[in-house]
Amino acid sequence: MLWRKMLRDLRENKTAYIACTIVIAIGLMVFTSMSIVIDNLNNAKNEFYDTYHFADVFIKVKSIPHTQVKQLKNIEGVDRVQGRLVRDVRVLKENSDKNIYLRLVSVDLKEEEPLNGVHQLAGFPLTSGEKNIWIGSKFFEANSLTMGHELFVLVDGKKMKLTVVGTGQSPEFVYAMQNVQNLFPDPEAFDIAYMPYEDMEVLFANSGMVNDIVLTLQPGYTLKDIENKLEDRLKKYGLASMVEQKDQLSNVMLTEEFKQLESTVRSVPILFLLIAALILYIMLKRLVEQQRGQIGTLKAFGYGQKEILIHYLSYGGLIGFAGGVMGGIFGSLLSESYTQIYQTFFNLPTLKNTFSPKYFFMGILLSMVCSLIAGFQGSKGVMKLQPADAMRPSTPMFGKKVWIERSTLIWETLTVQGKMAIRNISRNKGRSFFTFIGIMVTFAMIATMWSFQDLIDLMVTDQFTKVQTHDVKITFTRPLPMEQVMRELESKKGVKRVEAMLEVPVTFKNTYRKKDVMVVGLPQDSILYNILDEKENRIVLPKEGAVLAQSIADSLGVSVGDTLHMESPWAKEDILYVNVVAVIPQYLGSNVYMEQNALSQLLRQPKVATSLLLSMEETFIKALKKEYNTSETVASFEQNKQMVEKFQELVGSFAYMIWVMAVMAMVTGFAIVYNSSIISLAERKRELASLRVLGMTPREVLEVISFEQWTIGVVAMVAGVPLTYLLKQSMASSMSNDLYSMPVSTGASSFLVASLGTAVAMIIAQLSVARKIKKLDLVEVLKERD
Amino acid sequence: MSIILQARNLSKYYQMGEVTVEALKGVDFDVFEGEFVVVLGPSGSGKSTMLNMIGGMDAANAGEMYFKGKPLHGASEKVLTQYRRDAIGFVFQFYNLMPNLTALENVKLSVEIAKSPLNVTEVLEEVGLLDRADHFPAQMSGGQQQRVAIARAIAKNPEILLCDEPTGALDLSTGMQVLKLLRKFNETHHKTVIIITHNAGIAQMADRVFYIKDGRLDKIEVIEHPLSPEEVSW
Ligand SMILES: Nc1ncnc2c1ncn2[C@@H]1O[C@H](COP(=O)(O)OP(=O)(O)OP(=O)(O)O)[C@@H](O)[C@H]1O
Ligand SMILES: [Mg+2]
Repeated sequence: MLWRKMLRDLRENKTAYIACTIVIAIGLMVFTSMSIVIDNLNNAKNEFYDTYHFADVFIKVKSIPHTQVKQLKNIEGVDRVQGRLVRDVRVLKENSDKNIYLRLVSVDLKEEEPLNGVHQLAGFPLTSGEKNIWIGSKFFEANSLTMGHELFVLVDGKKMKLTVVGTGQSPEFVYAMQNVQNLFPDPEAFDIAYMPYEDMEVLFANSGMVNDIVLTLQPGYTLKDIENKLEDRLKKYGLASMVEQKDQLSNVMLTEEFKQLESTVRSVPILFLLIAALILYIMLKRLVEQQRGQIGTLKAFGYGQKEILIHYLSYGGLIGFAGGVMGGIFGSLLSESYTQIYQTFFNLPTLKNTFSPKYFFMGILLSMVCSLIAGFQGSKGVMKLQPADAMRPSTPMFGKKVWIERSTLIWETLTVQGKMAIRNISRNKGRSFFTFIGIMVTFAMIATMWSFQDLIDLMVTDQFTKVQTHDVKITFTRPLPMEQVMRELESKKGVKRVEAMLEVPVTFKNTYRKKDVMVVGLPQDSILYNILDEKENRIVLPKEGAVLAQSIADSLGVSVGDTLHMESPWAKEDILYVNVVAVIPQYLGSNVYMEQNALSQLLRQPKVATSLLLSMEETFIKALKKEYNTSETVASFEQNKQMVEKFQELVGSFAYMIWVMAVMAMVTGFAIVYNSSIISLAERKRELASLRVLGMTPREVLEVISFEQWTIGVVAMVAGVPLTYLLKQSMASSMSNDLYSMPVSTGASSFLVASLGTAVAMIIAQLSVARKIKKLDLVEVLKERD
Repeated sequence: MSIILQARNLSKYYQMGEVTVEALKGVDFDVFEGEFVVVLGPSGSGKSTMLNMIGGMDAANAGEMYFKGKPLHGASEKVLTQYRRDAIGFVFQFYNLMPNLTALENVKLSVEIAKSPLNVTEVLEEVGLLDRADHFPAQMSGGQQQRVAIARAIAKNPEILLCDEPTGALDLSTGMQVLKLLRKFNETHHKTVIIITHNAGIAQMADRVFYIKDGRLDKIEVIEHPLSPEEVSW
């Protein structure tokens, strides 16, 4: 019988309970689907890494004979070693302004189980002797190629023909980016091409030599154990970098992506479950309050404490179960399409969706536990009731004045509705708190989302309009004499200013901490590449010492005034010392800056440039590009304008996401305000109806509820400001890495938008409540005794 | 004396699935300005239904209803709200005070929306609750609460005061106090008062008594010499 009572009770307030179930279901849908996807991705990644023998260490050298590479196997701890040729080449495409590059990676066809093996996705097997290549499938699609397509690339200034015979994917380039500065893969402009070693050797006239070494370690060894030995052996071959698997670019990006997914799995469902639990708690608390008489009667019949408590708990249990099952089912279904989306994104050949009963039941358990706890908290008041007390109406909570009444000045300016509203806030503290939290979270979510807009401005737009103010950057394939190249370009038509840039790979050390970075050498009076402090004032590079990006300073644990050990393959001496003279925020990438001459002197190198920055007239850029595009010394020719456009395109798609998230936050806000109004309405039906009988318009009656909400709302929005900072702080620390660091500052405009968005959500909720007030049946409500 | 309320063939029925409950089966009456009317009748006869229609809280299914010649039947919710606001004061059997407003604030609440309200303190004094002005309903007895409810209704200075069993929940002497108040309002302010009751004794203090039976106005009795509340036999 009690079951029937429960079902009828639930039906009576079905909208609210359904909303609650849906909120749970959404949360668990995210939980189940994302958990499954993460498992799928991790399995696929591990399987892919395993099957294709993803290397543990990646080493770049200038050039080393194949035979020498094999010798590395003697080092204790090294398992397998392979040498490769890796070269970036420019693709020549007619009628295209775009810089398109391919990274040619040699493959050893004789090796049966090569390290970083290439998984064939489509096409024919690779054969040597015909300059055949396999290419990344995304590049293949993005450039609408066909099998047998002939690509023309520039090798040492000469045009060469390569034939695409297939597409492939290696664990090394799941996330294919040319370099860290790119931030995102751009498959139209860059991808990997795999070519038999025999062909590459000929193509680059590098017979028997390699410039890239990959190796795996024996179990129990890490790079640290063999680092010194490797350095000793490779120094003379121009050791450029040595990277462990965990720092390998594609792997880092992949790990980073998984980490973000995981944090979504952890936070989103919890947020939803929390909201659902709060709704449930409040609904049940009210139900018990409302049904005091019934509870008393039941107790008088002889129903026990436990039976009645279980009865009320079953409400929560049922809702939790329903939400859990729904979430589990939809989540499992959703994981299928999510997995597909990630498949197109990551290209993990072994990625497939698997149904996981584990997460299905975990979800149900999670939601039931959550709902039962909420239900228990809401209905435990049942136990305290004595049958006789229970049948008497609940003692009103009134009789006390609110603290605000003591300040007569404010109190007297309020209308009576206002006074009612203020007292109502303390009348039901739990619900006021719920509304408060809801509005605060909504506000903070919108503000955080919106501030990404400013943030992108800071990160991207500023970088290209305030920091990198050049029009063109020409990067060389090797360092060139500075004065000579500058003179050459200064004489070109349309060129207004030329600045040389020297980019040197170095390793910084501070006690046990170590970091590989790019030191950028700039002229002291540079105006084409500005170094800005946090207030965006230009910093003039000092004659000595280095300026560090904040993230580098942090990871090395140094601050202004400290001295760093520096090593560089370019340096004449083994260990150099350099002072930290300033630390600057750098949101895009992380570099160390030095004055050009100071850098050359430190390295004891003649004045050379690795690239040139040009300021020039727009109309002449094309001609200049044409002139240098095919030069063997030019590695790339970048136009700032194109970079900005590329980023803005990216920002465009991001802005759309921001909108979606902001709207989602608003919907949450609406749900919370609406729910709490509906409960208020149900509870205060009599009061509100009496007000209507007094002759108040529905609008005036609404004021009682809305004034209460606005009061809570304003306080909640103020509290949302620090929460926004907190949110961004935690996002910044979880998302920042060498590629980008997120500024935490939030512009006033974000808070303005958040206030507006929150207000709109509240107004919409109140409007729907107003409709309910209009429909209130006065006669009905006032007839019965409460 | 001029007519303030006019009802013609006023009818109300409730549809309950298959069954139609006829709560009011075509009632005709006039009420005059400044009159004191008592409505008597057994439980379920349709008294409350009638009063709710007079008060603009419910719409009739058939018939006509005029306030000072203006039709209320078929009037919009907006018009009815305005009517309740300006012309009607309602007193309920179960008080229906705002639990989170003090006595004084409860009265002020209705004054805020009134056109020509009475002085709040004076009204509270009239009902003898000035010393309880700062108390919340929960801190007052039933009789005191009912007096606040009356103060709330009369402070608006309405044309018509409607009371649905105002003494129903009260004991004899408190009931008497309440009736006195209603009478006083009727006399000093010359306003129409309509009271529903089960108690035939109370009818003795009315100018006229409407007897309702089974949804019909059975009979109207004119009392030549209404008694004062003290003289009423309960
Ligand atoms: N909302 C409703 N739905 C169905 N029937 C109703 C409704 N309200 C009233 N009735 C019926 O209308 C009739 C008149 O009801 P009303 O409340 O006017 O009686 P009353 O004379 O005020 O009785 P009491 O003295 O007990 O208050 C009754 O038979 C009642 O059952
Ligand atoms: Mg009645």
